[in-house]
Amino acid sequence: MIRDFLFFTTEALISIRRSGIMMFISIATITVSLIVFGIFLLLSANISNLTTYFAAKLEIRAYLKDSTRPDEILDLKTRFEAIPSVRKVEFIDKNTAWEEFKKNYPKIELNTLISDNPLPNAFRIILSDSAKLTTVANHLKGFESVEDVGDMGAIADRITAFSEYTRIAGIILVSLLTFATLLIIVNTIRLTVIARQDEITIMQLVGATTSFIRWPFIIEGLIIGVIGSVFSIVFLIFGYSFFVMRFQEKIPFFPLVYSHFTLNIIYLGIFIVGTTLGVLGAYLSVSRTIKSNY
Amino acid sequence: MIRVKNVRKIYPNGFVALDGIDVHISRNEFVYLVGQSGAGKSTLLSMMYKAEIPTSGDIYIDNIALSNIDANQVPYLRRSIGVIFQDYKLLPRRTVYENVAFALRVMHFSRSRIRRQVTQVLELVGLQQKMHHYPSELSGGEQQRICIARAIVNNPPILLADEPTGSLDPDTSWEIMQLLSKINARQTTVIVATHNKSIVDDIRKRVIAVENGRVIRDEQLGLYNP
Repeated sequence: MIRDFLFFTTEALISIRRSGIMMFISIATITVSLIVFGIFLLLSANISNLTTYFAAKLEIRAYLKDSTRPDEILDLKTRFEAIPSVRKVEFIDKNTAWEEFKKNYPKIELNTLISDNPLPNAFRIILSDSAKLTTVANHLKGFESVEDVGDMGAIADRITAFSEYTRIAGIILVSLLTFATLLIIVNTIRLTVIARQDEITIMQLVGATTSFIRWPFIIEGLIIGVIGSVFSIVFLIFGYSFFVMRFQEKIPFFPLVYSHFTLNIIYLGIFIVGTTLGVLGAYLSVSRTIKSNY
Repeated sequence: MIRVKNVRKIYPNGFVALDGIDVHISRNEFVYLVGQSGAGKSTLLSMMYKAEIPTSGDIYIDNIALSNIDANQVPYLRRSIGVIFQDYKLLPRRTVYENVAFALRVMHFSRSRIRRQVTQVLELVGLQQKMHHYPSELSGGEQQRICIARAIVNNPPILLADEPTGSLDPDTSWEIMQLLSKINARQTTVIVATHNKSIVDDIRKRVIAVENGRVIRDEQLGLYNP
C-alpha cells in the first residue's frame, strides 16, 4: 500500500517535471480562475459587511406624550428592553435634546421663534436584527404613552432586501464560478491526460487496473490544485492588503473587511475549492480516457 | 487452452472482419496465424486479450468464456497473456529496464522481485547491457526485444505476437523468431500473426490460414502457401 503510494507520487512528480510548459499552463490557468473566484468572494464579503454595518446604524425613536410621568418612563424602559431583538434602549430627556438641538444649529435664533422647548421626551431603541425594525416599530406604536414612532423602516427594508438579493446573487455566482473553474481545470488536466493517452493504453495492455492508472493522475491533480491555490491565495493576500491601504487613504473609516477570521475563511475556502477541483478534474478526465480504451 | 467458438465480428460500418471462426489451440503449442493484411488475424488476436469483443460467438481461455469477464477483471486476464506488437508500444521516456519493470509494477511486485525478474528476462532477450538506455537509442530489433521482455517478464502461459517482424529486416526477424521459439520451449503457448512467408516456411509449425474472416486451412507443420 505504502509502496504503491510512493510509486504513484513518484510517477506524478516525474510527470509534472516532464510536462514542463503544459504544467505551467495548467497551474497558471487554475491560479487565474481561483483569483477571479477569490476576488468575488472578497467582494461579496465586503458587501455583506457593508450592509451589516449600515443595518447596525438603524434605530427607532419612540416619542412620548408630555403627560407621561417619570415612573411610567422607567417602566416603559424595562418593557421596551424586554421586546425580542431589542439590543439597547436609551432615554433622551426633552431638555437634553433641546440643548443638543440648539448647540447643533447655533445660527437659528430659536429663542426668538419659540419660547418653550417643543421637543418631546424620547427613547432611542437600537435593534440586534435590522430586519425586525418595522415589526418592533409597529409594536411600539401600540403603547399608550407613545405619541409617535420615528423609524427608518423604509430604508431598513431596502437594506434588508439588498442584503438578501446580494446573498442569493452571491450563491448563484459562486456556484457558477465554481462550475466554470471545474470545467477549466477538467479541460486543462484533460490536455495532460490526452498527451499521455499512449501511455495509458500501454498500461492497460500490460494489465494495469483502472485505479492503478488513475492514482498518479489524481495525485498530479492534487499537486496542481495545491500549487494553483497557494499562488492565488498569495496573490489575493498581497492584492487585498494593497487595495485596503489605497482605499483607506482615499476614503478613511469605510467599513472594509479586515477581520483575519473572515479573510482566513475565504482563503481556506479557495484552498479547499482549488485542491478539490484539481482532484475532481483529474478524476473526471482520466476516467473518461480510461473508459474509451476498454 | 484457447478455444475460439464460432466467432463473428461485424463492424458498425457493416464490414465483416471475422465470419464464423472455430479454432482450438492446445497448451504449449506454437501457432502461426497467416493471411493477407485485413484478413482478420489482428482482430482475432485482439479478441483473445479483450481489446475487441466478438459480435457473436465466444473465446474460452482455460474453459473461461471471455464474455463472462467484465471490464474490471480485464486487467487480470491481461496479466496471464503477454502481447507483442508490430509497433512495440514502448514508453518512450522510460529506460529499457523501466519499460519491462512496469509490467510487474502494475502487479504490485516488490522492488527486489522486480529487479530479479527484469534482470533475468533482459538476459534472456540479450539486452542486459542496454537496460539503462531509452528505446529511441536502440534499433528496431532491440526495441522488439524490449517488447518481448515486457510481455514475458511475469511468465504468462500465453504469448500473442501481432506481426512481430513486420518492421524488421530478415536477419533480425529470424533472431526474433528464434527467441519466440525459445520462449515456446519454456512452456508458453505462442500465437504469431504474420505474413512473413520465409519465416513460416523456415521455422515449421502449425499454420492457421485466414482469408476474408474465415479459416481456410489449418495444418501441423504447414507452409505459408499450400
